[in-house]
Amino acid sequence: MRTDTQGLRWLTTTAYNVLAIGLGILAGLLVVVYAGGNIEVALSSLFLNPITLSGGIQQIFVRFVLFYTMGMGVGLALKAGLWNIGAQGQLLIGMVMVFVVYTFLAFLPWPILYVAMIIGAALGGLLWIAVPTILRVRFGANEIVVTILLNVVAINFAFYMLSGPIKSSGTALGFPHSVNLPALFQIPRIVSSAPITYAVPATIAIGIILYLLVERTSFRIKANTVGESLETARFAGISIPRVMAITMLAAGALAGLAGATYLMGYRYELDIGSFSTNYGLVAIICALVGRKHMLGIGFASFFFAYMTIGAESMALSANVPTYVEFAMEGIMMLGILLGNYLTERRFAV
Amino acid sequence: MSIAPSDILIGMLSTTIQLSPFYLFAGMGEIVSEKSGVANLGLEGIMLLSLVATFIVDYMTGNPWVALLGAIGVAGVIGALFAFTAIQMRVDQIASGLAIYLFGLGLSFVVFTTVYPSGLTPNYIPLPPLVANYDKIPYIGIIFLKQNILAYVSIVFVVATAFFLSRTSLGLRVRAVGENPKAADNMGVNVNKVRFLATLFGALMFGVSGFYFAGNFVPGFQTDVIAGRGFIVLAMIYFANWKPYRALFAALSFNLVYAAQNEYVSLSGFGVASVSTLFNMLPYVFLLALIPVFGRKARVPKFLLKPYRKG
Repeated sequence: MRTDTQGLRWLTTTAYNVLAIGLGILAGLLVVVYAGGNIEVALSSLFLNPITLSGGIQQIFVRFVLFYTMGMGVGLALKAGLWNIGAQGQLLIGMVMVFVVYTFLAFLPWPILYVAMIIGAALGGLLWIAVPTILRVRFGANEIVVTILLNVVAINFAFYMLSGPIKSSGTALGFPHSVNLPALFQIPRIVSSAPITYAVPATIAIGIILYLLVERTSFRIKANTVGESLETARFAGISIPRVMAITMLAAGALAGLAGATYLMGYRYELDIGSFSTNYGLVAIICALVGRKHMLGIGFASFFFAYMTIGAESMALSANVPTYVEFAMEGIMMLGILLGNYLTERRFAV
Repeated sequence: MSIAPSDILIGMLSTTIQLSPFYLFAGMGEIVSEKSGVANLGLEGIMLLSLVATFIVDYMTGNPWVALLGAIGVAGVIGALFAFTAIQMRVDQIASGLAIYLFGLGLSFVVFTTVYPSGLTPNYIPLPPLVANYDKIPYIGIIFLKQNILAYVSIVFVVATAFFLSRTSLGLRVRAVGENPKAADNMGVNVNKVRFLATLFGALMFGVSGFYFAGNFVPGFQTDVIAGRGFIVLAMIYFANWKPYRALFAALSFNLVYAAQNEYVSLSGFGVASVSTLFNMLPYVFLLALIPVFGRKARVPKFLLKPYRKG
């Protein structure tokens, strides 16, 4: 079914995406140069530091796992026309749940507790998104508004848990933090010399499974129909509440799971430094750039994992705050969206 | 240490009146914008940039009114960019709004640290209170006269927005392009122009909110300093069913709950921070609880989020 125009269309979209990403990078470079940074150092930090610096490759894969796991959830909900702006909150609840299970179910034997921590995180994310899901399906309340509200609640809740129930007795500079997970409860590396944990193949496996379950079955059409038009979906006899509930709950569970892989595979302890990250928003960008496709999101996630680490390294090379990466991401996202529009207009029949 | 109950009440009311205008300016802006069919999720990004502009211009000129103009100007530029992409280029409003948020979140802090490398906010000259020696007058002094003039302007804006939307012909056009752009177009209304103006007005209001934030919330600038308060406006509008007076009620009751828990937490002096953060959740949970109760009857503008294409 692939025709010449489709090929050209793909090429055009890609060209615009590259252009948008280039613009974002250019903006970052401008800031760095303005702050007195050296352009050569900045460029090599951006493109090479993620793979040459010690710990860089580990960081890339940590973020790849984070963005991909959360991005799949966001993309899944988006297929059904639902915006999960709350991936950040679900991630946070997932992280809290890892330590809730670890602390309060400590009587369980090791392998069971290990699995329970992972399941607990996913369950936490699922319960957190259950609120907007129920409000949406039962009361028709807008999921964007509710997921945004719950992000703020999640931060406060996590702060409460961290300064009370899951707080470690030792303190670091007076800031509350959890205990450090012992080696038995960490996700091990595949090869001890390479900084890649089992979380990476596991995430790719989840991606392939979801690809088979979603993209290769009638569910894709059902979800897309719900996303395109509720009336058409109703007419086609699709159970709208069911599709909405499945995609939303899966999105929450995936974001919660991302919290488990992040803590158990990399960070090992929870502190307030993990609270105000914007990984949930980057996951939305990955879902959009990956065109809501379960494998496409994987490639987008890898790219943004690499890019965000490069951008942070570039910022540090010139003493610019790493927050510049958000401005760059914003420009890239806007550019990619504009590119999509221009492509559509060009190929509109 | 004993504090008279009346003092606690006065403190609560004063906080409520002090904080609400931030939500009211942005709320009126978002109502007009959304009524025309355009939801601006970039509001917090715009506020952050306006807030930085406020600090810089205020420090440079020493005049808070010029700083207000600076804040509005910055908001206008970013708002026009958003309106152009969302309306003329028909880009998904939610995605482009989030892009604007990220852009503002990053740029605001980068600009701030570039101008003030020490990371310290320069001396900020706020707008004066309505009455200079307000503390001489019991009760109403602290509750009402301590606030600056903008707090009262925000109430005027609520009344004006309600009047504008329901009683003026431009207000009717704003509602028409959000409810049924096709019909409005047939009547000779330039749909995208009205939407552009409504969205731009919204953005300018976010600029005022960003300015108001400077003197009334957190002293100084930090990363992500607005911390979701801008996004909360979206929930207030939703609960308020896009009605200005109801939004006023939402803002006042939200801040009253906030002020109550704030007073309670500071008075009870919890040794551990743990319980107090649980109380910090209250205003948000309160707002959340209102949604299934009142949100059921929410009448979303029919063409909200839907770009319009002539022909």
